[in-house]
Amino acid sequence: MQIYLPIAEVSVNIFLILGMGGGIGFLSGLFGVGGGFLMTPLLIFIGIPPAVAVGTGANQIVASSISAVLAHWKRGNVDFKMGFMLLIGGMLGSTLGVWLFTYLKTLGQIDLVIQLSYVLFLGVIGLLMLFESIMAMLRSRAGILKRKQHNFLQALPFKMKFRRSKLYVSALLPIGIGFVVGVLSAIMGVGGGFVMVPAMIYLLGMPTVIVVGTSLFQIIFVTANVTILQSLHNFSVDVVLAVLLLIGAVFGAQLGAKFGAKLKGEELRILLALMVVGVCIKIALDLTLTPSDLYGINILGGH
Amino acid sequence: MKMPLLTACKLALVLLSCSIYPALGDDLDVDLSKPDVRLDVSFKGSDILLFGAKDIKGDVIVVVRGPNKDTSVRFKQRIAGIWMNTDEVVYTNVPSFYALASTAPVFELLPTAVLKSERIGTENLGLEKKSSSERMTAETLQDFTKGLIRNMESKKLYTPGVGSIKIVGKQLFKTELWFPSNVNVGNYSVDTYLIKNGRIETKKTTHLQVHKFGIEAQIYNFAHEHALIYGFLAVIIAMVSGWLANAVIFMRKG
Repeated sequence: MQIYLPIAEVSVNIFLILGMGGGIGFLSGLFGVGGGFLMTPLLIFIGIPPAVAVGTGANQIVASSISAVLAHWKRGNVDFKMGFMLLIGGMLGSTLGVWLFTYLKTLGQIDLVIQLSYVLFLGVIGLLMLFESIMAMLRSRAGILKRKQHNFLQALPFKMKFRRSKLYVSALLPIGIGFVVGVLSAIMGVGGGFVMVPAMIYLLGMPTVIVVGTSLFQIIFVTANVTILQSLHNFSVDVVLAVLLLIGAVFGAQLGAKFGAKLKGEELRILLALMVVGVCIKIALDLTLTPSDLYGINILGGH
Repeated sequence: MKMPLLTACKLALVLLSCSIYPALGDDLDVDLSKPDVRLDVSFKGSDILLFGAKDIKGDVIVVVRGPNKDTSVRFKQRIAGIWMNTDEVVYTNVPSFYALASTAPVFELLPTAVLKSERIGTENLGLEKKSSSERMTAETLQDFTKGLIRNMESKKLYTPGVGSIKIVGKQLFKTELWFPSNVNVGNYSVDTYLIKNGRIETKKTTHLQVHKFGIEAQIYNFAHEHALIYGFLAVIIAMVSGWLANAVIFMRKG
């Protein structure tokens, strides 16, 4: 069944969109990533204009994140204090990010910068996670458990107690992580979960289950902010498309959160790592393989 | 079975009006099966029947053009293993839609100069360069123009080649025009030429509105006129449905 989208201005199959929303929602509930780094390329792939894909993707992630956060909250897996610290950094970072985005746009090549940052971040993070979680799995099989200790990070001032995460660390750490993620999410048009989740696991030493819920909590606010800014400046949020995606996504997210509770931390991380590396390879190929047409067009607008 | 009857009536009317006023030089009449293309919820492209009558022997050419837009064409080059946009040409007055139909190959009907001046055929669009990233030879510019047309064809916004016009009886003709689902909104012009002995005998221009309709138009207008409220509403819808989905599943479990 086809439906014509009022803002995207294309006709799409309803069931394809529902299915895509469901799949991405499942992943976001499972890993605590918003799924933006998959959603945006997928929407563009099925013919949605890139600007609409970014704006609408953000809107949909608001819904799936809320749904997943509630599921995690009921299990006590959200550290709100940590979440607020991330949020402070995130708001500052995304403000700088939007400014940086505008600056890069005036230089031209913004598309290339976005693609290269995808390849760089997804590649580095994916590979690091993959190796680390394989090592952790091997270690736990050998029966050796080792807790990571961070030397200079422990020495930072403004220490704070995070009861849920069982941590006593400087507030500057989550604010800093939130800031970096905020910058990236403004430039790459994603929630930034795929950067935040590993950062909190490896830099803060937070338990994986708490990281997922807390990361989603922060993503709600970042993507809500992006949705409103995109509507205001680019008119690029398609509510019809978003509603279809989120109908699929909210249910997918519930399933994902339930399924994730059954998996071990290492297994979760290996799966996420494989997916991140997969998307990285896909984008890298797009950049290096000869395109079917060397000329590309962009209809700028009216008379 | 309403449409064919209506169409037949219209054809009859057209025919009648032609035979009544032959002396006025009104030797060509054209009409469309629908006055507009409505982009509503179920829109997945639209067929429009163009039909008409002529009262002299001769061939017919039909050209449909969408509203003009500035269009940028970028050329990709491999630099350090990575394909990146390098040169850019911005064209002004590029028709956002172009379709051509004819009773015979157009180059057999009219001399090249006339095809050029009337902008018949995608090779005769007369595209004007607004700006380019650097100075270009005519040859390079030609490659950019070809790239533009190729891209528009793959988006189905330009019809490659020439569509056919069917002659019914001696004086009636008809052709189907196809508007794909990614068609741009605006005022479209439909030029119909009656051609005899390599000369344009008559040219008739009709217009066709392509516009959003019903809920599609309401959402689109609201998003543009009240952008901030629209953004907040989008977030609220997302939040409520996320919460609802969770509540539904929780209730089922409880």
